[in-house]
Amino acid sequence: MAKLRVIFENGDPERVIEFDPAAAPFHHDGRPGSILDILLGHKIHLEHACGGNCACTTCHVVVKQGLPKLSEAEEQEEDMLDKAPGLTPTSRLGCQAVIEDPDAEVTVMIPRFTINLVSESESE
Amino acid sequence: MPPEQTARPASRPSRTARIERIFDHAADTRSLFLAPIDSRALRFTPGQFISIVIPLAGETRNRAYSIASSPDRDREADGLSPDATFEICFNRVPGGRGVDWLFERVVGDTIDFTGPFGAFTLDTPPSVESIFLADATAIAPIRPMVHRAASSAHAPIVLIHAAYSADHLLYQAEFEDLAGRDSEFRFEKIIAPEGAIYDRLFAECERRWIRGDSNRARRIYICGVGKGVIRLRDLFRQNGYERRSVLYEQW
Repeated sequence: MAKLRVIFENGDPERVIEFDPAAAPFHHDGRPGSILDILLGHKIHLEHACGGNCACTTCHVVVKQGLPKLSEAEEQEEDMLDKAPGLTPTSRLGCQAVIEDPDAEVTVMIPRFTINLVSESESE
Repeated sequence: MPPEQTARPASRPSRTARIERIFDHAADTRSLFLAPIDSRALRFTPGQFISIVIPLAGETRNRAYSIASSPDRDREADGLSPDATFEICFNRVPGGRGVDWLFERVVGDTIDFTGPFGAFTLDTPPSVESIFLADATAIAPIRPMVHRAASSAHAPIVLIHAAYSADHLLYQAEFEDLAGRDSEFRFEKIIAPEGAIYDRLFAECERRWIRGDSNRARRIYICGVGKGVIRLRDLFRQNGYERRSVLYEQW
């Protein structure tokens, strides 16, 4: 079984998911087997304003462990990540980063803010 | 392993809008004119989208719909009341349950949404020539971007809108009117069989802006469906255009 540990920058309690990558998809948004798919399928909320189609950065996660275990980022994901606030060398979009290795152990941190918070606040 | 028992609630504030008007561009293509019930205008940048909460079979899904109206245009000229109303535009797609749900809405119904979102935007009119490429309803985010680009003294702008039939060339009269008033704006249409739309766009772009000259300082904005968008992106990026000068949104 693969293991995905989730840390929340906002202080929510850490969560650990054990799952079989071969059982993907777990939900209906994001790439099958992606971090977004895994989290939603295990009732853990991760923003995905565009529906998990690589058209926004609201599912931005920072990979703390296991980066080589994730599918390689494509150019479209890199383009989108350019616009993500708090971008780090290990940032990924949850909707695009797929865990395929059944022995993978991956830890991700979900940042507190995303790029759209300011414009949302302004519109409120 | 059983799923976790609790879910983190969505952290983004949701708003509610009432459907004020419905306009059918074609049998499968519709605009909804939405008025936030709190009467506060939606502040957005041309090109952004809202995320609509679609209730389906006991659960909800978020689906993105581009804002087709412009924060710059005269609202009454657009047929919009002088309030906070904005427009989204969409078409039916096979298996598209979210859009089917939207097609079932009637005037007076309300929808919940979050946003605006999205990084495919045009905020400041570019100082260099701008090329806009759109496929059918993918004109939705491009429409306000074009108006923003043309909102002040500007470099040349070319819009190519492609579709498989004339009634899927949305806002045609509006763009023709703009081209008639603005000598730096060119509006061009391509009607081609559905499977050939991107081949036609690719050939046209290659002929004019790759082989046609050595200028690589243009800004390119592409919006459409599927791999054709990526082909167009790569055409420009692999032939001398800066990565950040080629912006795109793939549906």
